[in-house]
Amino acid sequence: MRLPLPLLLPCMLLTSIAAGHAASVEITDIAGRQVTVEAPAKRIILGEGRQIYLLGALEREAPFARVVGWRQDLLQADPDTYAMYAEKFPELKALPTFGGFKDGTFDVEQAASLKPDLVLMNLEARAATEDAGYDDKLAHLGIPIVYVDFRDDPLNHSIQSMRIMGKVIGKEDKAEEYIAYVHQQMARVTDVLAMAKFDRPKVFVDRAGGYSDTCCMTFGNGNFGEYVEIAGGTNIANGILPSTFGVLNPEQIIAANPDQVIVTGGQWEAYVPGGNWVGMGPGSNLKIARAKLEKLTQRTAMTGIAAVKTGQFHAIWHQFYDNPYYFVAVQRVAKWLHPDLFDDLDPEATLKDLHDRFLPIAYKPGYWVSLSDQ
Amino acid sequence: MMSEQEAGYDFYRALILRRQLILAGFAAALLLSLCVDLALGPARYGLDEVVRALLWPGEVSDQLRVVLWEIRMPVALMALVVGASLSVAGLQMQTILNNPLASPYTLGISAGAGFGAALALAFGVALVPIAVEYIIPLNAFAMAMLTAMAIYGLSLRRGVSSETIVLLGIALVFIFNALMSLIQFFASQQAVAAVVFWTLGSLTKATWSKLAISTGVLVLALPLLARQGWALTAMRLGDAKAESMGVKPRRLRLEVLIIVSLLASISVSFVGTIGFIGLVGPHIARMILGEDQRFLLPGAALSGALILSLGSILSKMIIPGTVIPIGIVTAIVGIPFFLYLILSRKGATW
Repeated sequence: MRLPLPLLLPCMLLTSIAAGHAASVEITDIAGRQVTVEAPAKRIILGEGRQIYLLGALEREAPFARVVGWRQDLLQADPDTYAMYAEKFPELKALPTFGGFKDGTFDVEQAASLKPDLVLMNLEARAATEDAGYDDKLAHLGIPIVYVDFRDDPLNHSIQSMRIMGKVIGKEDKAEEYIAYVHQQMARVTDVLAMAKFDRPKVFVDRAGGYSDTCCMTFGNGNFGEYVEIAGGTNIANGILPSTFGVLNPEQIIAANPDQVIVTGGQWEAYVPGGNWVGMGPGSNLKIARAKLEKLTQRTAMTGIAAVKTGQFHAIWHQFYDNPYYFVAVQRVAKWLHPDLFDDLDPEATLKDLHDRFLPIAYKPGYWVSLSDQ
Repeated sequence: MMSEQEAGYDFYRALILRRQLILAGFAAALLLSLCVDLALGPARYGLDEVVRALLWPGEVSDQLRVVLWEIRMPVALMALVVGASLSVAGLQMQTILNNPLASPYTLGISAGAGFGAALALAFGVALVPIAVEYIIPLNAFAMAMLTAMAIYGLSLRRGVSSETIVLLGIALVFIFNALMSLIQFFASQQAVAAVVFWTLGSLTKATWSKLAISTGVLVLALPLLARQGWALTAMRLGDAKAESMGVKPRRLRLEVLIIVSLLASISVSFVGTIGFIGLVGPHIARMILGEDQRFLLPGAALSGALILSLGSILSKMIIPGTVIPIGIVTAIVGIPFFLYLILSRKGATW
């Protein structure tokens, strides 16, 4: 059957309106570039699998509906979360996967064949992407790159990234709702500290403590180091390490004598079988985690420090370091540092609430443990 | 009027004395460096406190005792032992292969060790299925020894010259580097960071037990090598001449290669790749002391130990509070010094 053209045109128009037809939208991405995208985008490539942390909060019913390909780092870096998503959305297992832009293994031909409306890229991949000329190649195909970030500078970039993604997929309301939620949750820490008089305890963040024999990886003045400062503590590596990541001389820890130690941990059985790392994460066994945390207090670098004597020795999920849910970590650290000021703050309730209100997957406890727990 | 013979004796005696004095100077510098290494650190203890903790560890505070005996001491001593081991290993590889480029690094032993360690760090693969808590050094050691044996096996073939062996070693370096890259390609971010850190070489991995093993091997190896001192000196004249003096080059080569492989493998598997010492330590000793193994062997051990000890001091003083991996420090600081030595000499250095 053939419809005459005058009839066909209005029909096409109607269907396209019904489908929410894309319009050109100008956005400024995290790299500060002006990018024109057709929004709402229907086909997206995630240049970083963990971008699903953001996308999932915007589209909890079907976080993978728009994803046509993604990098496989979620499975490698955060297998617990991957398993929870895979259980609920088995279709993700069939998604085409990519290597990283950063290591130059992104296959531009494969990307083009998936006909995406845009490629979402993490900020740290920018140099490698432009170096390889992928941005030009994709631009020739009419596929824009949009940069987001929740790792280099989670505190400043996560919210902006959420806003960008909201615009791109036409869920600005949901994005604003999430952003308001983050502000509100952060304010529960910052407002209290702004009003209170308090001493800043000295804190050592033991990055991936026990992962290797080498002591002691930590954070400088960014990331977890910054969470500690916001939560009302002093990061002992601040002013020593010139950048966000670094390694302290074990002797420095004894010399600094931290009041509290926060070990970051994850399920690293696949990498260091039987290692001394603390396996935090959704659904982790807290009894085992606590026993392993206890063992970490016996390291040479922890000799005689106040944190060990007073039991102010904690472990928290390592992935909070590159995660838009960082505000939960800030709340948890704040409550460890100042239990009297944050008597009515319940970080676990916050994390559960976050899952109930925004996330596609259900909450499972196991994100932290402390030797001061009863 | 002195006879020619007497003049010769005098010259020889003066030469021996001069070399003995140089060795004594090296030893004194080493002792001084060790003391400085023990005295310096981010926990700013006074010299009196350090001395007290050294002499009467039972009478000082727990923290001071731990800092000195558990943190500074193993690192400082490990620097000496590893520096001496790598330098001696490099010296004898250069000697038996008659090639100035030979060293644990250029023969692929370090790269092999790095590959073994990376297997453990990235995937938890144990090459030697015992004592999983030592999986990383054991893996590194197994691969390093395997590499050394491969080199030896190939050196037995007919018509294989010492140049071929060095080329073979370099080929192995490339293979292992490619395999390392492959591992890093598939490994997690966390594991990649651990592999990279391991390959930079770091003395902070030192513990008393590792130190005891490394020292044991060095103490066994030195007299064994010293016993072959004359034969090894003769080897530098070429196989044919050495043979005419009663040396059995093939047997000597095997014996020495096994000893130095053990030395290098143990060191590298405990502290990671430190490429520079095994090449430069022996060359510095040779420039100052000459080819006579009676002086060259202890000289190479002392110069290697001294370089690494100075490197250890620098590595913790560049940014107080952190420790820059020693492999980086020795290369950046040591290479210009080495270049100066090579370029400022009029005669040939090899």
